[in-house]
Amino acid sequence: MVNEHILSSFDDDLHKLNKDLLKLAKLATEQFVNSIDNFSTQNIEEIDKLISKDKNLDDLDEKIQQLGFEIIALRAPQAEDLRRVISALKISTVLERIGDYSRNISNRTKALCELSSDDIPGVNIGKMGLVTQEMLEDVIIAYKDKDSDLSIKVRDTDVVIDKMNTKLYQEVLSSMSRNKKNIVSGTHILFIAKSIERVGDYVTDIAEHNYFLINGKPLSDNRPKADKTSLYGID
Amino acid sequence: MVSNSNINNVKTKTIGEIFSKDPKIICRNVDVFYGEKQAIKDVSIDIASREIISFIGPSGCGKSTFLRCLNRMNDTIDTCKVKGSISLDKEDIYDEKIDVVTLRAKIGMVFQKPNPFPKSIYENVAYGPKIHGLSSSKEELDFIVENSLKDSGLWEEVKDRLQSPGTGLSGGQQQRLCIARAIAVSPEIILMDEPCSALDPIATAKIEELINQLGKNYSIVIVTHSMQQAARISQRTAYFHLGELIEVGETKKIFTMPEDKQTEAYISGRIG
Repeated sequence: MVNEHILSSFDDDLHKLNKDLLKLAKLATEQFVNSIDNFSTQNIEEIDKLISKDKNLDDLDEKIQQLGFEIIALRAPQAEDLRRVISALKISTVLERIGDYSRNISNRTKALCELSSDDIPGVNIGKMGLVTQEMLEDVIIAYKDKDSDLSIKVRDTDVVIDKMNTKLYQEVLSSMSRNKKNIVSGTHILFIAKSIERVGDYVTDIAEHNYFLINGKPLSDNRPKADKTSLYGID
Repeated sequence: MVSNSNINNVKTKTIGEIFSKDPKIICRNVDVFYGEKQAIKDVSIDIASREIISFIGPSGCGKSTFLRCLNRMNDTIDTCKVKGSISLDKEDIYDEKIDVVTLRAKIGMVFQKPNPFPKSIYENVAYGPKIHGLSSSKEELDFIVENSLKDSGLWEEVKDRLQSPGTGLSGGQQQRLCIARAIAVSPEIILMDEPCSALDPIATAKIEELINQLGKNYSIVIVTHSMQQAARISQRTAYFHLGELIEVGETKKIFTMPEDKQTEAYISGRIG
């Protein structure tokens, strides 16, 4: 922000909104990172803890939405202030959705824990999760630092996740066709991979909201995309 | 007559589009001095036909001074000196041949505080057309008064008491009476200097709706301290600071993505 408002309570509201949004970003990152860790460790207790924590993200998102509406109604923000409030509301929704996908990953991981490890296709979910985690951490830094270049870099990294998802999809399908015992676990893994890929898309959304917040115009839509899973099986 | 040449070659520090495709008033390199003090510095801007444009800026920025230059209201201040050129339909309004009374009929003005004459509602509106000889009969004058009061949204409220004093109306009604008085002489442009600052929110909303309606037929230049009012009613907004025209542009752009940092600071409530 350029400098402080004449009306200090307006600054207080904006700072509170920003603080709550960064808190939600931290919670969403933790949930996502833990969901990937839990996939490796398969610790049921940790998985249950993660699933129960999802409500904290829902509650914080609701609080941010309420504060954002109040600022719009009572402060009539203009220019960068208006973009900041609108972006905060949109980013908050996205972070809450990342929390939902982390919970979905955990639900599927919990189901996998019940299956024999011999019947699970060996694919590298952890690597896909790590790249997505780095994107998520970078996009939060870009938001805090108002870094337009880092936002663009994050958006363009999503293609790596798409490629990983496509490769993993092919591997899991091959595994399932080789060994029918892998169908149940393979299906869970496909959904986990899809959830990570969706988190990558949401991180991309945050990068685009950052860019709009900083520059006042949308980032062009010609970003690279490489999720070919929907075309699989078509000659 | 102001020459067409160089009208659009003016050098300006103002950010945004100062030119209009269909200009009614053309101001070029306008300086205004009160004695030694320079109140307006090198302002160039077009006012288009049938546009509503708001002048905004902190107190003392020169927005009212500049507004008053547009119909030579500053002539009444002895120490005031205006340089540069201001033309209405390419006619220099500061030319010595210009009849100021006729000019002010073409470019009407509504002030901050409603100032009806101490006469009846009817006489308040009829006075202008009478002195400008705009009617040849009582019927014609009645027609002008009725239409002006209808256009100002006041007719239904006063049609049964036209002979009552104008000063007996509420503040909002008095202001609409002043607008009726201004439009009764068939102006081409209406200047408004904070027309709602003495009114309550309901009366303000009625005046704003009236300004929106009048904008279909007249050019309206409005000085306002309410940025929300500027955002609600004007198509273009001009931001003044310390006598300079800093930025002018489409209202939606000025209030969402102004180019100048000073404009951004002002509209966001960071300087005042």
